[in-house]
Amino acid sequence: MSRLRGGASVFERGGAGSPLWGRTDAAVVATILLVTFGAALQVARDRETVDGPAPPGIRSVPPADLVQRAALSFEAVLADLYWIRAVQHYGRTRLSGGGAREYALLHPLLDVATTLDPRFDAAYRLGAVFLAEPPPGGAGRPDLAIALLQKGLASVPDRWQYLQDIGFIHYWWLRDRDDAARWFQRAADVPGAPWWLRFLAATTMTEGGDRAGARALWRLVRDAAGDSWMREEAARRLAQIEALDALDRYQRTVDRFRVRTGRAPRSWQDLLAAGDLSEVPVDPTGTAYELTPFGAVTVSPRSVLTPLPDSGALPARPAG
Amino acid sequence: MRVICTIARQVLRGAVRNRVVYAAMLLAVGLAVAAPMAGRLTPGQDVKVVKDLSLAACNLCGLFVVVFLGIRLVAREVEQRTVDTLLSKPIRRYEFVLGQYCGLAATLALALTVMTIAMYVVLGAAAWWRGVPGLASVAPVPVADPALLKAVLLIFVQLAVVGAAALCLSTFSSPVLAAVSTCGLYVAGHFGGELRNLDEVVDSRFVTSLAAGLSYVLPDLAAFDVKAAVVHGQPVTAGYMVLTAASGAAYILAFLVPALVIFTRRDLL
Amino acid sequence: MSAVRLRELSKTFHTGFWRTRVHRALDAVSLDVPRGAVLGYLGPNGAGKTTTLRLLMQLVHPTSGGAEILGRPVGDVGVRRRIGFLPEAVRFHDTCTAEEFLEYVGGLFGYTVAERRRRAALGLDRVGIGADRRRRLRTYSRGMLQRVGIAQALLNDPEVVFLDEPMTGLDPLGRREVRDLVLALREEGRTVFFSSHILNDAEAVCSHVAILNRGRLVASGRVGDLDLRVRSWELVAAGPGESVQAVGGAAARWVTRIADGRYALELPVEPSPEALAAELAQRGIQIVSLHPRRETLEDYFLRRVAEAAAAAISDDEAECA
Ligand SMILES: Nc1ncnc2c1ncn2[C@@H]1O[C@H](COP(=O)(O)OP(=O)(O)OP(=O)(O)O)[C@@H](O)[C@H]1O
Ligand SMILES: [Mg+2]
Repeated sequence: MSRLRGGASVFERGGAGSPLWGRTDAAVVATILLVTFGAALQVARDRETVDGPAPPGIRSVPPADLVQRAALSFEAVLADLYWIRAVQHYGRTRLSGGGAREYALLHPLLDVATTLDPRFDAAYRLGAVFLAEPPPGGAGRPDLAIALLQKGLASVPDRWQYLQDIGFIHYWWLRDRDDAARWFQRAADVPGAPWWLRFLAATTMTEGGDRAGARALWRLVRDAAGDSWMREEAARRLAQIEALDALDRYQRTVDRFRVRTGRAPRSWQDLLAAGDLSEVPVDPTGTAYELTPFGAVTVSPRSVLTPLPDSGALPARPAG
Repeated sequence: MRVICTIARQVLRGAVRNRVVYAAMLLAVGLAVAAPMAGRLTPGQDVKVVKDLSLAACNLCGLFVVVFLGIRLVAREVEQRTVDTLLSKPIRRYEFVLGQYCGLAATLALALTVMTIAMYVVLGAAAWWRGVPGLASVAPVPVADPALLKAVLLIFVQLAVVGAAALCLSTFSSPVLAAVSTCGLYVAGHFGGELRNLDEVVDSRFVTSLAAGLSYVLPDLAAFDVKAAVVHGQPVTAGYMVLTAASGAAYILAFLVPALVIFTRRDLL
Repeated sequence: MSAVRLRELSKTFHTGFWRTRVHRALDAVSLDVPRGAVLGYLGPNGAGKTTTLRLLMQLVHPTSGGAEILGRPVGDVGVRRRIGFLPEAVRFHDTCTAEEFLEYVGGLFGYTVAERRRRAALGLDRVGIGADRRRRLRTYSRGMLQRVGIAQALLNDPEVVFLDEPMTGLDPLGRREVRDLVLALREEGRTVFFSSHILNDAEAVCSHVAILNRGRLVASGRVGDLDLRVRSWELVAAGPGESVQAVGGAAARWVTRIADGRYALELPVEPSPEALAAELAQRGIQIVSLHPRRETLEDYFLRRVAEAAAAAISDDEAECA
């Protein structure tokens, strides 16, 4: 105790007018050291939880209506917060290469964000994209994506973009061209909707969802998109369609080789040597296509185009 | 040391006699008692809701007590000139501030203890009534789960950090300013995780590194919040508890050192 | 050894939003208070009395100069065990009772619980707080609070007591009690340093005075050593009324009959009253007493403050010229 008293006299002001800077220094240094120590402990704790089985910081989402009631008059800010959390959750899970299970919080987070701010456009549209894409790129829940967009429609009925997005999901992920066409039609019926929606609906309906229709659709999206993410996404889809066409072409080349030689080519080298190809084929992003030992041509898993949409969804138009 | 205890006891006595503190505790206890009724509204989740609400009430009322007392303790004594009498006695100014802080922590501990007891009483009653329809427990988590104490403990450390910040701010600014800054710190402290991972949303390197730097300097108050984990029966490791509490202690000291130095230097006008 | 010593003690306050305006509340005040003295620290409002006491209690830090109490620099925690202080604005923790408050103060001195109780009870008895001691301080009147304040200042049997305007808020009886209390402290050999602008109170109890005006010490010293001027003479004479009137009537300011054929005459300072006294004696009139009538402390105070103000003005003029 007496030692503490002695040490503590540091805090006492000395005689009148004595310089105090030394002591201020000591206090500043002590404070900085303590903050550094605290920060280091926090980092150590964060490390601990990354590998741990269940990180304890809140990693579950409360029911949306509960959050809404607790938000008082800060719904908008909280909505933003939950949207940021949703994006982070999506980004982190995607980077970690986790499966569908890991996206478990995506829909609850989006639900809270859109409940707090029912006109949260980005949360509906991008959120639907995150939800609809199959794993590992997304949660693989087109049903939840559609539900989210319909929730958006309930609060903003004249937002034709949501109808269009629902149509897309039907078209692309649920492979239901008739439903897709119906949603496009509904979108086109909204006053103020652009002319091409009607065109899109018609194309979808009449052509039964072939690649040409899809290509037309994505081109329109790419050119009309206000959001850069959307534009890039549309460009990626277009590249995928191109890749699908290319795959069909190269598959035919491979098949011809097989018929001619009676064996599957082991690599592109076989085809180059035989003069069927002049160079190793690459997809629109510049990544080489892969040739499986059984003679199937696929997109490289390293390409950003992976995974390709199920080709069943977009059957090649019969040649000629 | 004895002087610090004497001052702390006086703070505790003042707080206990202050009806506002009672009101806060009553509110919390009432909430915990009302929780079973709320639990009936969400079928199958009654025990969870009781736990959620009680822990939230602990946290909220504790926060109320800490901010309300923390900003007023030193500032009010100076403003009302009660400090004139006390500091003419054989005590040093740092003993005075430390005594006040210990009193604040003791008040907080008392309030949390009362609320925790109320929570366990309610949960015990819920466990007892378990056979009755509408009161079913969520499977793997015991009703009167001792692990809830972990959440309460970390709430205590979290609020002790906030109290130290309030005390520190109130040694050199007006009570209103101190209250606003304390609440700001409380909010900012909860956004630590968001700040740190801003790079997933924003592209600017400058903004992201600034935010990340800030998030490491500020106490990550959200990390003290294991309410949800505890309620869901997820494990909260001893290592996590120790590291979190230790970082809290470091931040408490980091707030108290400037508070002591500033208060010692200051003219008490 | 002196009980309190101020050495060129100065305090400057910085006011205004940017702290740019300076206000010199105390200007190089030097003062020595011997042990056992009762010092009346006098001055008009805003003179710097409270500032001095707050500097002595180290509630504010001096801009320059210093002070010692019982030979130790102010701020020495040990010396605080031996002093008592009654602040100007008496406010205590108003949720506790007088008893609890005094016990708390006893705790700050490190007394045992029993000792705290004993001293608290004794102190409250001394200042005349009776059954009210179990009531919360919030419900106390101004004067009752002042009494509690005095009780806490004396709780530790201090060798030096600092009282900032101890009489304010007290009823006439209370003033009388405080006066007696100070006299009792003086009897016990304690040093009392009290500020006041009620000069009658000071005159009754002080052994020393210091007069402060606008932060400067104007005069200080033993009450007996002050150059209190003779304002008039009072002469009491016994004899026939007509002859007293005849002799003294012209010279005296007034003549009054008191009793038993005695008359009181007030005579001016000049001319000296000896000549008149001789003449009266010649006429067979008996001189009962002859006293100089000196200035009261109040007169002295007003004169010194006025002189200081005049000096300040002429200083200013000299500066302007
Ligand atoms: N905190 C402060 N800030 C600025 N000026 C101050 C402060 N405290 C005192 N002063 C000034 O210092 C001067 C001396 O004040 P002080 O309170 O010592 O006077 P006082 O002699 O006690 O007067 P009173 O008889 O009215 O109690 C005053 O002019 C006052 O305005
Ligand atoms: Mg005063």
